[in-house]
Amino acid sequence: MRIVVLIKQVPETKSVKMDEETGTVIREGVESIVNPLDLYAIEAAISLKDQYGGETVAVSMGPPKADICIKEALSMGIDKGVLVSDRAFAGSDTWATSYILGETIKLLGDVDMIICGERATDGDTGQVGPEVAAHLSLPVASYINAIESFNNNSVSLSRQVEQGDEMLDVALPCLLTVVKEVATPRLPTLDGKIRAKAADIQLITADMLKLNPDYIGLKGSPTRVAKIFRPKVTRECELLFAKDDATIHAGVDKLYAFLDSKEAL
Amino acid sequence: MNEFELYNFNPVTPEIVKQLEAIVGEKYVIFDDVESLEQYSKDEVPDPAYRTMPEAVVRPSNKEEIAEIVKLANRENVPLTPRGAGSGLSGGCVPCCKGIVISIDRMNKIIEIDRENMMIVVEPGVVANDINEHLEGTGLFYAGYPMSVETCYIAGNVAENAGGGKAIKYGVTARYVLGLEVVTPTGDIIELGGKLVKNVTGYNLVQLMVGSEGTLGIFTKIILKLIPRPTLQADLLCLFNSSDEAISMVPKIITEGGIIPTSVEFMDKLSVQAGCEYLNESLPYQNCGAMLLISVDGNDAEELEEQYITIGKFCKEGGATEVYVADNSSTSERIWSVRRNIAEAFNLISKRQCNEDIVVPPAQIPEAIMFLEQISKKYGIIIPCFGHAGDGNIHARVTCPEDWSDEKWHDSVPLILGEIYAMLRRTGGMLSGEHGIGHKRKKYMDQVVSPEYLALLKGIKKTFDPNNIMNPGKIFDMV
Repeated sequence: MRIVVLIKQVPETKSVKMDEETGTVIREGVESIVNPLDLYAIEAAISLKDQYGGETVAVSMGPPKADICIKEALSMGIDKGVLVSDRAFAGSDTWATSYILGETIKLLGDVDMIICGERATDGDTGQVGPEVAAHLSLPVASYINAIESFNNNSVSLSRQVEQGDEMLDVALPCLLTVVKEVATPRLPTLDGKIRAKAADIQLITADMLKLNPDYIGLKGSPTRVAKIFRPKVTRECELLFAKDDATIHAGVDKLYAFLDSKEAL
Repeated sequence: MNEFELYNFNPVTPEIVKQLEAIVGEKYVIFDDVESLEQYSKDEVPDPAYRTMPEAVVRPSNKEEIAEIVKLANRENVPLTPRGAGSGLSGGCVPCCKGIVISIDRMNKIIEIDRENMMIVVEPGVVANDINEHLEGTGLFYAGYPMSVETCYIAGNVAENAGGGKAIKYGVTARYVLGLEVVTPTGDIIELGGKLVKNVTGYNLVQLMVGSEGTLGIFTKIILKLIPRPTLQADLLCLFNSSDEAISMVPKIITEGGIIPTSVEFMDKLSVQAGCEYLNESLPYQNCGAMLLISVDGNDAEELEEQYITIGKFCKEGGATEVYVADNSSTSERIWSVRRNIAEAFNLISKRQCNEDIVVPPAQIPEAIMFLEQISKKYGIIIPCFGHAGDGNIHARVTCPEDWSDEKWHDSVPLILGEIYAMLRRTGGMLSGEHGIGHKRKKYMDQVVSPEYLALLKGIKKTFDPNNIMNPGKIFDMV
């Protein structure tokens, strides 16, 4: 069995600052980490390998320094790292990115399962995973919170939906996006770090993929950002204080009147 | 306890309150309001026996107001207790003689970042963490790092000479305090030290003030030394089969490994379990006998990697069954939160406990830990141990078994502590490494220090505070 995990490097959210003028994230000087939600995908892949054997491959598209994130995945126990990186990819939106990643997976060949995090903490779209499946014409199961069992032809999954869990049997090969209930990510070990340090990360560039040049980069990206703005908070908050019997009654009366006026009672 | 019966202080009368209001404004005096006063009656010491309600709380905004309040206290013979954020662990800010609490929470401005001199000048009520947040982008940082960094005030750090997790490499608060502006216990405003790296002009009163637990004056301005900020950090979480194996590694990491880590934290089996269970952490802690959390920092990624690989391999050779590595903020936070939450986890397990803050020479740490294990077996109690093992400081929590009666517990505590303190004398250790004496540990002072030393401390106190109004009943009693 061969499992590919798609991971993304994102800025560490606590230290992120926004450019007030343009409304975009300032990425300079901010620590890059593996998208926290991708850690669950990595863990799911490694646990499947622990149980059923096979090979796990982490694939990331990004600038050359995204190799730090691939090495983090390797130090957790992923077997092989692939970096998809080319200047021609700059400006790609989720559609172009998923096209490039899909072509990468075709090139790698012989993949039984692709696992992605639910979404990335920077773009927050949750689109790339399902779009890769679309490009590859694979079945997709999103919001997976448990991988129950696995055989050569299919996988039994639990999928988080609003009303509860859906149980699915999905034919292989397929693509899953996982939520954090699926597994608790393990920490990288010293042996893993030493192995990752020595590991060769396979570099895949545009000319290795036979891509349609109209489908990649800014030119190949149908997404247009019309406007970025901060939503105005229109709620008004009134605090009611009470410290003894007299004030508590007054407070309750006021609250009652308010709820009544909103027809909430 | 009952220190207020020991001294003949006067009560805080409505007339005194009027005078306080005239100094700081009515809004900033709390009097006759039990609910509001209650939060000023305690610090983070869990035992309610160490709490005392103040009679009044006053919240001045500048040094002149503080000086007026101090003069008033001297005139009226009313005790004063300075208070920071209340995150202390020895009762230092508890008004054990009642009287007036002076809260410095309104004095929280960062006065100046002096990049040329690599110093920062702050008011006393600045939260320790805010200093480094303010310094972001300057390439400089303040290296003091108590574990309560998100809440504690810098003045409290200075008053207690706070240590914390990074003392092994960066030292304790004292190393960074270059100058102080102080309102003395008689109401004078004096400047000590300054923006000077060297200064031998008379006695080093700056360092006398550091760690004086609010008994020698109230800080109104603090000058701190800054150092270049290391940009990278990596943490190792090393799992061992036993406390012995883990703790015996501690002195060797530096002496044989040749690297000074930023911190070396020790957590025994009980601490590891309490911390992990409290956090729902899924690390394989069940079969682990003890853990070491070792951090290194620097500015060069490759050098840092080499350092942690060296230390990690060294620990594995010494018996570590697994070594986890965190070199980014998300994994680092996960590892450190286990350590940071141990104290809180134990607070939930039992309220009946003595939180000891013993310190021994770093090389004697294995001996001290093994002794504590013997004591816990002898008395049938649990003593979870965790702390900054790398600098010889261990937080041993003598915890009462659930089935013990209060009487049995109270009778046993002095015996257990007596044995621990005897061990301190043998190994050249001391009562408190970083939490201070306060009113919590003062009754044990004579077990570890000489009468001559105590007499000198009292003489200094008398010189500074002839009327004994400044935080009386702390460290030692004057009667």
